[in-house]
Amino acid sequence: MDFDLTDDQATIRKAVAGVVRKFDDQYWMEKDLAHEFPTEFYDTLASGGWLGITTPEEFGGHGFGITEASILIEEVARSGGGMNAASSIHLSIFGMHPVIKHGSEELKQRTLPRIVDGSLHVCFGVTEPGAGLDTTRITTFAKRDGDHYVVNGRKVWISKAQESEKVLLLTRTAKFEDSAKKTDGMTLFLTDLDRDHIDIRPIRKMGRNAVSSNELFIDDLRVPVEDRVGEEGQGFRYILDGLNPERMLVAAEALGLGRVALDTAVKYGNEREVFGRPIGMNQGLQFPLADSLARLDAAELVLRKATWLYDRGEPCAREANTAKYLCADAGFQAADRALQTHGGMGYSEEYHVARYFREARLLKIAPLSQEMVLNFLGSHVLGLPRSY
Amino acid sequence: MRWELSEEQADFRSVLRDWLQERCASAALRGWLDTGDPGPFEEQFAAEGWWGVGSPEELGGQGGGLVELALAAGELGRAAAPSSAWMGSVLAVPALANAPDAAKALLADGITTVLAVRSGAVPALRPTVSDDGSGLTGSVGSVLGADRARRLLVPVQQQNDTALVLVDAGSAHAEVRPRALTDRTRTIGDITLRGASGTPVAADAGAVLDQVALRAAVLTSADALGVTERMLEMTVEYAKQRHQFGVPIGSFQAVKHAAAQMLVQVESARSIVYLAAASVQAGHPDAHLHAAAAKAQVTAGAAKAADTALTLHGAIGYTWEYDLQLYYKRAMLDRVLFGAPSAWNERLAAALDLVPEGSAAL
Repeated sequence: MDFDLTDDQATIRKAVAGVVRKFDDQYWMEKDLAHEFPTEFYDTLASGGWLGITTPEEFGGHGFGITEASILIEEVARSGGGMNAASSIHLSIFGMHPVIKHGSEELKQRTLPRIVDGSLHVCFGVTEPGAGLDTTRITTFAKRDGDHYVVNGRKVWISKAQESEKVLLLTRTAKFEDSAKKTDGMTLFLTDLDRDHIDIRPIRKMGRNAVSSNELFIDDLRVPVEDRVGEEGQGFRYILDGLNPERMLVAAEALGLGRVALDTAVKYGNEREVFGRPIGMNQGLQFPLADSLARLDAAELVLRKATWLYDRGEPCAREANTAKYLCADAGFQAADRALQTHGGMGYSEEYHVARYFREARLLKIAPLSQEMVLNFLGSHVLGLPRSY
Repeated sequence: MRWELSEEQADFRSVLRDWLQERCASAALRGWLDTGDPGPFEEQFAAEGWWGVGSPEELGGQGGGLVELALAAGELGRAAAPSSAWMGSVLAVPALANAPDAAKALLADGITTVLAVRSGAVPALRPTVSDDGSGLTGSVGSVLGADRARRLLVPVQQQNDTALVLVDAGSAHAEVRPRALTDRTRTIGDITLRGASGTPVAADAGAVLDQVALRAAVLTSADALGVTERMLEMTVEYAKQRHQFGVPIGSFQAVKHAAAQMLVQVESARSIVYLAAASVQAGHPDAHLHAAAAKAQVTAGAAKAADTALTLHGAIGYTWEYDLQLYYKRAMLDRVLFGAPSAWNERLAAALDLVPEGSAAL
């Protein structure tokens, strides 16, 4: 067993930390309060070539694995950028996976180099109000019309749709009731977010406000056949391939958030004096922070194991799900305790832990709830009957 | 809203507490537990007339109701007293409302009469003994205090009806096999009847068992409250006495805060236990919710407080010689006695306007 990062990985961690350092808490607070996309941050990562960390070299990327991607995104979150920073680049980092694996050469040539150089912003259009996590129940329908499809339907919780040029869109090309298997009849596209046919409405929400979350109303959107990813009817399987990496990246984001929250709390605990001594001297404050350190460290190990398995091409669903579950939990708990350590100051935007807290809470819900992770572990790993 | 114990109730509590401190002190208690015979305690308890408190005078009791019984249960818990015979019997009292002779035998003459229901579940009318015309046959497992009983009040399935039948525990056709519990301060027994005869009491068995469930919830919670109070006292006392790193361990915040959490548990338990007792006694429309909340919250909290008490005591709490082990085990048994918190939470959930189980879209 070897717990060391490789030279490349250590270099990536250090380099990313250096790059993101100039975007400080003040920057992220202002972006969050103004509900403004962090363009300067995004452009800096793009010009440094970081967005292509996992994209194959033939398309201009670096061809690294999910381990390196998770280290990158963890550092990004840990810089204080949290989910605002992570979500602005999350899909560029690994979201194109279904396209890389299943897309046509033409589609890849047309889109992937632009993902890498940052000129192409994409969003992920899967979730629907009537389906939630029950993805096979989506109803957005793509009807073939010559060399086009005509798409109608609704999507919800589409991150970054406002800022995106294209959407990786999951549709049904056969209705649920007409499909032999419920996972059949779904088709994936990478296509333009044509504002003439898609009404994008931002959702007002609790945090991560620098990156929008949106409802999409799709009305007779014409999608050229060339924008289809892989074969018709196979879209669900393509998406499925990307779910474990997504869980690992989200786990890394939660971990980074937890780390920065804990660092902030420790600093405050050492500096702030009440009753004539640093408040960190109180066991009531010190123990919860120490406990969070232990929990973050433990969660990190599972995450590292998960990405290691994935990069070796081995099954990793158990570890990826567990990593998401433990990191989200440890990250939120650390943020909550950081807020508590700050007392009243924690509730002000100025000390940043309130922002971490709001963002960390998101990771217990998205991209899937903690309860769905338990469903997975309960039925697929333990072999208990499906409970839902 | 203001609710407090009447002067009489407060007096009763303090006199009983003093009595238990004297008669059920640790050395005597440990003697009964070691010999496995709590008889001497039970005899004294009955002889002093404590048995009748909380039951109607017309049935041979001394008046008062469930609040008085809850006070008694709390004090018995606080003393870790061997109270199974008493508890099993007071659960039977509602069934004897129309059987004054049997009630008087129990309440005034100390003829222990235990209701034959399983102690590991919420009491309900599910007769496992039937009357096939040639006597009562069947068995009831894990009945609290059955091994101490002279009479058993058994729910019986008759041809078209259910009934409660008084059976002499000493009869040749009745067998009570005692079973040991980890909590040695309480005892249970498995009852087996083979063609036994008995005397039916006039009662609506279903309605009686519904009442018994609420009574069991209130009295078990009250016991757990007393146990928690005592554990908190022991813990605070120990934390002041025991020194580490040159200071009493009670000066460490982690210890102090944990003890404060126990106090919060005690106070919240007190609030719901007496509310539930008064509510069940008065037949309040929400009495079933109050009793369920008490059982679910108080006994779960007591088990948690027991863990905290053990942690704060360190290794000494783990020893046989130190009395904390008695309370720890008692708290653990109270948690599952007459239904675990999950079972009582189910009852609460059933009363809420939630989506019925199984109807969610797949």
